[in-house]
Amino acid sequence: MSRRDRWLGHRMVFPLILLLLIVQGYPMAFAAYISLHDYRLTALNEVRWVGLAQYAGLLENPSYWTAMRNTLIFVFGAVGLELSLGFLLAYLLWRPVPAQNAFRAILLTPMFVTPIAVGLMFRFLLNNQLGIIPVWLRALGVEIDWFGPDLALFSLILIDVWQWTPLMVLLLLAGLEALPAEPFEAARVDGASEFQILRHLTIPLLRPVILAAVLIRMLDAFRVFEYVYAITRGGPGERTETILFYIYRVGFLYFRLGEAAAMAFTLAVVIFVLVVFLFRILRRQEALT
Amino acid sequence: MTGLARGIAVRVMPTITVLRWRRRWPILFRFGMLSMATVSVLFPFLWIFLASLKPPVELIRPSLLGFEPTAVNWSEVWLSSPFARYFLNSVIAGGITVIVSLIVGAPAAYAFSRFRTGGTGLRFLILAAQMMPPALFIIPFFLMAYYVGLLDTVWAVAIAHLTFIAPLVTWFLIGFFEDVPRDLEEQAMVDGCTRWQAFIRIVLPAARPGLGAAGLFAFIMSWNEMFYALMLAGGHSKTLPVAIAGYWTFRGVDMGKMSVAITSAAIPVMIASFFVQRYLVRGLGGGALKG
Amino acid sequence: MFRRVVLLLITLGMLGFWLSACRPAAPSPVTLTIIMEQVPDTDVIRKLLPDFEKENPGIRVVIDAMPYDAMRDKILASFMAPKATYDVIIVDNPWMDEFVAGNFLEPLDDRIKGIPDYDFEDFVKPLQDIGVVGGKIYGVPFYNYAVGLIVRQDLFDDPAYRDAYEKKYGKPLTPPTTLDDYVRIAQFFKEQSGGKIYGAAMQPQRGYKIFEEWKNWLYAAGGNLLDEQGNVIIDRPEAVRALELYIEMYKTAAPPNSLNWGFDEALRSMAAGEAATMMSYNWMLPTLNNPQGPAGALAGKFALYEVPGGKAVLGAWHWAIPRNAPNKDASWRFISWITSKRIEKQRVILGGAPVRASVMKDPEVWQKGFGQSYYETVLRILEDAEPLARGPKAEEIIQVVGTELNAAVAGEKTAEQALKDAAAQVRRILGQ
Repeated sequence: MSRRDRWLGHRMVFPLILLLLIVQGYPMAFAAYISLHDYRLTALNEVRWVGLAQYAGLLENPSYWTAMRNTLIFVFGAVGLELSLGFLLAYLLWRPVPAQNAFRAILLTPMFVTPIAVGLMFRFLLNNQLGIIPVWLRALGVEIDWFGPDLALFSLILIDVWQWTPLMVLLLLAGLEALPAEPFEAARVDGASEFQILRHLTIPLLRPVILAAVLIRMLDAFRVFEYVYAITRGGPGERTETILFYIYRVGFLYFRLGEAAAMAFTLAVVIFVLVVFLFRILRRQEALT
Repeated sequence: MTGLARGIAVRVMPTITVLRWRRRWPILFRFGMLSMATVSVLFPFLWIFLASLKPPVELIRPSLLGFEPTAVNWSEVWLSSPFARYFLNSVIAGGITVIVSLIVGAPAAYAFSRFRTGGTGLRFLILAAQMMPPALFIIPFFLMAYYVGLLDTVWAVAIAHLTFIAPLVTWFLIGFFEDVPRDLEEQAMVDGCTRWQAFIRIVLPAARPGLGAAGLFAFIMSWNEMFYALMLAGGHSKTLPVAIAGYWTFRGVDMGKMSVAITSAAIPVMIASFFVQRYLVRGLGGGALKG
Repeated sequence: MFRRVVLLLITLGMLGFWLSACRPAAPSPVTLTIIMEQVPDTDVIRKLLPDFEKENPGIRVVIDAMPYDAMRDKILASFMAPKATYDVIIVDNPWMDEFVAGNFLEPLDDRIKGIPDYDFEDFVKPLQDIGVVGGKIYGVPFYNYAVGLIVRQDLFDDPAYRDAYEKKYGKPLTPPTTLDDYVRIAQFFKEQSGGKIYGAAMQPQRGYKIFEEWKNWLYAAGGNLLDEQGNVIIDRPEAVRALELYIEMYKTAAPPNSLNWGFDEALRSMAAGEAATMMSYNWMLPTLNNPQGPAGALAGKFALYEVPGGKAVLGAWHWAIPRNAPNKDASWRFISWITSKRIEKQRVILGGAPVRASVMKDPEVWQKGFGQSYYETVLRILEDAEPLARGPKAEEIIQVVGTELNAAVAGEKTAEQALKDAAAQVRRILGQ
């Protein structure tokens, strides 16, 4: 590459870097600053340096750990279900089927609706008195307490699955369609069964796409806020307290911004570790193919 | 089909029907499964749409049909409340976000795709920036917006949306520029264009579908975002998700009107989604994924 | 195609800037911006504004209405600014001490004294007290949301129910005045109706809602959050009893699977005729009795009583002026106008929730409003009521206690353990 090209490249990237420095760099530096201070909005004249005390405080804060655990359960549960269901649907949509395009267009719509609307929609749809689903289930003799202590987190996961499986379908379907045709023909000539092909050919070939899709979904699932906000507000007890909702509570209801910022940073670290880990796998897979 | 083949076909007619049936049932099975999935996707939409047509008395009953439809919710939301203004706010916030993201993101994506500027590290750093928890940014934004006098304007919301949408759009465009054949711009440069001119005159037009899809995608993301919008703009400048949440007050949920708001917010993006779907995959892979 | 879509967006965007940029400039010298919540009481204020602007030609009022969750940080941002964005704010009672502690609010004593016929003492005493911090007045009551007991009067009057109850318990069926009666009556309704009508639509949602409901039970059992000296007493036996009764009620008489129910679900259940009683804001009664409202054919069959035990949880919004507001005189002009006896009467007739005793005793209000017995009951409720929590940490205390209570109802902890944990956390928050 010529030096001129490199120089042009720098200039072309510069506006983006500048924008990100303003909209992300400054806020992040500020958040880092307040995470080291006892920074409460209602007592701004008492701001003082506390070092890592707020980070250390998180270690012994049971609510923080509960929220972290709930978030991880949510992320892995939701993404796991979305992956299996998404793969199933993508697989069904892969070969010609009547009304294929209509199916595809409709199945993808949930991901384009604002999550708060989805949360509120399901809050009422699953409500024991107002929702139609419990009425139907009752007609079948089934009584399910969707937002009770045992199922609340699972119900939120199901809502996430409803909204975000489409993204999985989209990505996996594209992956399937880009697969080369030859190995499949060869396998069929050799008399391999559908299941064998799926197990030994389709899934291994699709692995990079699967990993990328999982990564994209995981990053997003960590930000779950709207469903909790719209439906359970973290209850029953602390069963659905997710980390972002807890940060919101500490930061915006109690105004202890320093502590909230410290929590946000630990979350960023968790996400970052996970991303690096997944990317490692992704790149190894790419090197193999 | 040869005569011989036809002869055989005639002779083994019963087997053929069995065969056809055996070939068909997977299709029927798949059709059935997909129909079930489609119903479970469509049902909540249908339910909320029906709720928007119900008079208040009906909203306390979990019935699906069997009520007198009324347009009173629709007329109240659209005609006697500032909902149209919130709709416009969302359009403006989305518009600003899209325009800035594309202006800033397109050259950067091109540089990443052609010159590998900053290497893989910078590319992923930009994506990593996108995944920071929004709660981290909200306080500084708040103060920033205040000091530059943008608090409670759609501008503040748009700027906050840029934190995650601009990197995503950049990431999105890398894949599309990768698809533009390099010969095109090299030819242009042989004809006397500079690289920058080639980018503007040749590459950008060639990547038009990608730019359009990235823009529309960015627009949808901004349209649906609530957390920043809730914190940064409340009153006259609120966007649709905040307006929807606003029908849920401590004096109760106005289900009828909320259903109208949800339906009104969902329909435009659902239509828009039909245009982006095809391109979404190419973009989300960001050149890392052969879509 | 895509270019056209993008072009359309750009055009729309520009149109938007243009529209928002050319808002007409205020012709009057002073514009007051008021932050309010999106609720019917705000709409009532909107209806009164033209009168205010007519009587005060130099002042224009702009109301910035928003969802509850967006208000607190907007108000705080306005406080921190060199010049307030809001000239007048409304303050929810858990915020009052916090805002005063932050030195954000303007004391109003002198301004109140400056208006001879203002009659501050006319505001019902517990409402006055919320706005008084450290002996100074910082807030003037706007509207109350005290809790009362709303019942289906037609069920209590139904001879079939009356006879069955009398036969079973040997006393007449009347709206309950003690906790034991309340639980018993609620269970009775559920049994007697064969499960068609639940005894009570409850609000055990985590956080604010459950605490707001349960604290009425706590008062009735003779307990409280803090004692006179400010010691945490929420783990005392009477509190445990109140919580155990509450849980018994939830398990035996409330609609099933209603653990995440808040105000809205309970109201709908009541309106749908599925519940015989609920503890809720007193002004829900007119809503339920409105034939065009959610209850439809059941409208007119609801009645309001004091909660069992008499002492109720008080909630209220207050008007206040930020210390950094630029036009404090104009701000006070508006507040004193809207809370004056004359306008308060109009506001209540238009459907606003009352705060002045004189208005609730006014025959004209009875007649144009919701009737004598309603206003008299509201007045009785307000006179014996106390807020959920006070002090600069009220919001956090409410959330923490509300989490523990909800966990106990969910069966995650025993009542005793939950209250012990709640007390420990409240002590930590208060630094005891």
